[in-house]
Amino acid sequence: MKETGLTHLLSMGTIATSFFLFSSFLLLSINFGTFLETWEKKVQIILYLKDGVGEKRALQLKRELQKREGIKEVRYISKRKAMESFKRDLAGYGGVLEGLKEEIFPASLEIKLGEAFRTPERIRALAARLKKIKEAEEVQYGGIWLERLSLFLYILRWGAWILGAILVIIVLSVTANTIRLTLYNKREEIEIMRLVGATEAFVKFPFYLAGGLQGLLGAGGSLLLLFFLFHLFSLKISPYLSIYFGQLRLSFLPPDLIAEVLGVGVASGLMGGILSLRKAAGI
Amino acid sequence: MIQFFQVYKTYPGNIEALADISFKIEKGEFVFITGPSGAGKTTLLKLIIRAERPDRGEILVKGRNVTRLKNSQIPFLRRGVGFVFQDFKLLNHKTVYENISLVLEALGYKKREIPKRVRQILRVVGLEERVVKQTPFKLSGGEQQRVAIARALVNTPSILLADEPTGNLDPGLTVEIMDLLEKVNYLGTTVVVATHDTNLVARYKKRALPLYKGRLVG
Repeated sequence: MKETGLTHLLSMGTIATSFFLFSSFLLLSINFGTFLETWEKKVQIILYLKDGVGEKRALQLKRELQKREGIKEVRYISKRKAMESFKRDLAGYGGVLEGLKEEIFPASLEIKLGEAFRTPERIRALAARLKKIKEAEEVQYGGIWLERLSLFLYILRWGAWILGAILVIIVLSVTANTIRLTLYNKREEIEIMRLVGATEAFVKFPFYLAGGLQGLLGAGGSLLLLFFLFHLFSLKISPYLSIYFGQLRLSFLPPDLIAEVLGVGVASGLMGGILSLRKAAGI
Repeated sequence: MIQFFQVYKTYPGNIEALADISFKIEKGEFVFITGPSGAGKTTLLKLIIRAERPDRGEILVKGRNVTRLKNSQIPFLRRGVGFVFQDFKLLNHKTVYENISLVLEALGYKKREIPKRVRQILRVVGLEERVVKQTPFKLSGGEQQRVAIARALVNTPSILLADEPTGNLDPGLTVEIMDLLEKVNYLGTTVVVATHDTNLVARYKKRALPLYKGRLVG
């Protein structure tokens, strides 16, 4: 019996490890998704104006752009404002900044986008259209990074689901094998129970229960460990996050996802139990 | 109580276990199934509780056609038939009490009723209270077989099947166990004992169904 206990413990450990990997991927993709959303909110397009474009024409352009679909707000930054902002940002370098003339700074239009237009594809399309304006010297946007980060998130999410599928197979086979071993150890007891007239449901129920419980404990254990590590990690990293990303907060898996992970654990453990009992029907 | 009508059973590999078996055992009877090893005694007992299915023929147990039972109905047939094995088939990691109470738990008896029934049946088979908490391997062969008989009878089945119940016991204990089976029969249970021991059959003077190479020869 001790051996059976150890086997159960080992299989629960394997299940917990698999679930830990899966949940980690989920956690990573959720937080990365939040990060990307925050990033998307900050994304703006900067249209640098050619040197000869006067303030009157720039303001006219501003008004025209504001009427366009997807553009939420346009701010005109004159050469002077650009220089002041530059000096403000680099205030610590005092002497170096002296003698700078506003002529070397380009005037620009800072364009903020509507929520629905903050996707990489739409930003790229709008930037391409803005480039065609004859007064435009250059159009800059954080789109390339956004696209790369979006792709990374996409891979992360798919990775989580592929890992999830592999995990179900692992849990099924680990549970099925453990229960088969338990069945083998208890074959005499099962034989006796059948001979005295115990129903199949009565004989099999403990094995289904063991399978489901193994899945539940494995998944639950992995979530607890993940929560503990997440807590440690977020304590260390939160101060840096607030410096670089302001309001961005790391968050743990939401309750519905926790319930889903536990559900997958129970269901796959239960399936493992059913499979092992089907294969070992002769016992 | 038990009726066989032209029953045939062949195992894979064309091994003929039983052929053209017909007999009737009345309620309250004590019957020996005799014959050497391989004569088909165990197969015959297994057919009664539907642990095996005949290839041909019909088997009636307490008026029910066992051959046509659905799988889901088999447990209910077995609740009325106790079974005792030569090697006792006791669970050595469980106590005597647990070995017996397991049956009652499996059959859904109420928890408060179980201790009373276990103690009652232990008295019937002549086991002392002290063995209740012991594990079977600490008991003598005779005591182990008494526990096995107690387990087979604890839910008061009307039929008791015993497959070579004294096969592992010395002559003194054999008499003890046979006397106990007689007592059980006297209390109203139909008893069927499969044995290769011709001395036993001669000593107890009960009806015998002799089997030889899968056929009834008496």
